[in-house]
Amino acid sequence: MKPDTITKADLITGLVLLVFSLTLIEEAWRMPRLEQLGVHPSSVPGLVPGMLGVILLILGAVLTVRSVRRGGHHLGITRENTARTFRQPGNLRLIVTLVLCIGYAAFMIGNMPYWLATGIFTFLFIALFEWNPGADRRTRVRGLTLAAVIAVLVAGVVTWVFANLFLVTLP
Amino acid sequence: MILLENLLSFLTAIGDFLTPTALFHVAWSTGLGIIIGALPGLTATMGVALMTTLTYKLAPDLAVLILICMYVGAIYGGSRTAILLNIPGTPANAATTLDGNPLARQGLAGKAMGIATSGSVLGSIIGMFFLATLAPLLGNYALKFQSYEFFWLAIFGIVISGHLTALDDPLKGWIAGFLGLTVAMVGQEGIHAYQRFTYGTTELLGGFALIPAMVGAFGFAEVLTVMRNPAAEVINAARDSVIPKLGEVFRYWRTIIRSGIIGTGVGIIPGVGEDIGAWVSYAAARRKSKERHLFGKGSIEGLMAAECGNNAAVPGALIPVLTLAIPGSAPAAVLLAAMFIHGVRPGPMIMIENPHFVYQVVAMVFFATLAMLVFGLSMTRPLLKVLSVPRERLMPIVFVLCVIGSYAIAERPFDVGVMIAFGIGGYILREMKYPMAPLVLGIILGDILDKSLRRGLVLSDGDLTPFFTRPICAVLFLITLSSVLMSIPAFRRLVGRVVGAVLPGRASREGN
Repeated sequence: MKPDTITKADLITGLVLLVFSLTLIEEAWRMPRLEQLGVHPSSVPGLVPGMLGVILLILGAVLTVRSVRRGGHHLGITRENTARTFRQPGNLRLIVTLVLCIGYAAFMIGNMPYWLATGIFTFLFIALFEWNPGADRRTRVRGLTLAAVIAVLVAGVVTWVFANLFLVTLP
Repeated sequence: MILLENLLSFLTAIGDFLTPTALFHVAWSTGLGIIIGALPGLTATMGVALMTTLTYKLAPDLAVLILICMYVGAIYGGSRTAILLNIPGTPANAATTLDGNPLARQGLAGKAMGIATSGSVLGSIIGMFFLATLAPLLGNYALKFQSYEFFWLAIFGIVISGHLTALDDPLKGWIAGFLGLTVAMVGQEGIHAYQRFTYGTTELLGGFALIPAMVGAFGFAEVLTVMRNPAAEVINAARDSVIPKLGEVFRYWRTIIRSGIIGTGVGIIPGVGEDIGAWVSYAAARRKSKERHLFGKGSIEGLMAAECGNNAAVPGALIPVLTLAIPGSAPAAVLLAAMFIHGVRPGPMIMIENPHFVYQVVAMVFFATLAMLVFGLSMTRPLLKVLSVPRERLMPIVFVLCVIGSYAIAERPFDVGVMIAFGIGGYILREMKYPMAPLVLGIILGDILDKSLRRGLVLSDGDLTPFFTRPICAVLFLITLSSVLMSIPAFRRLVGRVVGAVLPGRASREGN
């Protein structure tokens, strides 16, 4: 991130921290004092979370004020800027990686055999990121074959090692 | 006499690992550690966290041996990438790029790798010496620590770690540290068994499991970082010899000893770790050097100091792990969690309950150092091949291991969710320049802070005085307070003015 982007991000983080810390203090305050159990008032469960809430409130306030002083409140969020951010090659790669990884971990695993999910994920990851539309047909076929070979190897070895060597009941 | 006893205990521990099985584990885990450290984006913390998930079925001593070899190997392995690609393989090798890469560009990549290897080995040996001598002493001293001291140790660790790992912006270091402490508040608390922030979820009763959280924050987050950044540039091939000349190495014996001591000292400070060990050693070597003008342009002394400093910090970081159950660095935090998983309970009682384990850890560092020396001088070409593996083929494999590793320890799909959440959170925080080490330290220290403050207050019947009047507490409190105050520009200016008024001569000299 560039310094001015970080300053803007600091404002948002600061505000999130303020809300988070106030919630933390409120939750800590509402925690039981356990008087009926004869518990010492200094050992109540909400003491440390409440203390951490106060510290985070101070830190969040300092971050917010500092960001505003540095001009972080000029967020400059426009449709054009947002579209440009999403078009940057690095951010596109990040989004594709996130979609593939979360899709694999949250949706594929558990809904199909582990080895199949792992094989499909590895193949898709390599094939998508190494796909070169400008290359000739032979190069593309070679790339896809290599991705398939790696996917079969990874799925086979990881499944075998965890199921047979570490005796894990695979998801 | 004590030194002789230490030596005998160390030799006995060496004997424990002189078996084919143990030596085999030393060889592959150090080699794999070097590879993980050398691959840009894969760090020592990630290596140790992933390896914890792969070794939890092994005997405790073998599992810890593998993790320490992985740790030592990874911190060293990062120097290869620093020299050949000008990218630190792990954050610990950032200072190595300053002189390592200029040497490679001068056609002396082999020499640079040889110097980095000897610096790492010698730093590790110095750190090992202090681990063997200081850990038992500190262990006995730590027996005097009560809840009051542990409370301040937790706060001191977060504040100092937050300050030193984010020197440009300590505020972010502290936010990371206190967020870590807050994360540790989730789950059943240890005094009255009240469930905090669990919202009826049984999976959260024990809090967030540390290993899946670390695998996420250091594994998944790194996958995201590597895939977002542009690919690394072409590697300079080493044409000269990697075997260093002894005369060239020992010419800098003062720098070696100084960097070893600094690295160990920095390693001992909670949550600070190898990267700061390397930077402080490098800065000290530059200040004292007769060849100051060469620093940054390919100085052998600078490269030696950086590598000596980061590897000495590894045994240094293990000292508080063993004696106080407080990690000296992020990989040491994972190692500490792994020790708990294996039923080893480090802490003040270790010199009474399990003193042999302390020397076993020294022996583990010794074997890792030996393997590092052998591989460092022989694995040049295979490492170059590994470095040329495209990230598009490596990262899906890393992620597959992150998922199955997080799941395997408790066989709970919930932990995969924890890994993903910490991965995305860790990535966002890292992009906004929040250091990860204080966050990890916070997650580890949260329980200690919580129990120590409440127990201390119960013991003193709600009186805060002992937290400030007991000698160790007073020292820790004053250091913590001065660290916070000195990061406030207005206070720093005030101190400058006061010093200027009291010592006018010094102020004017500094002004010049």
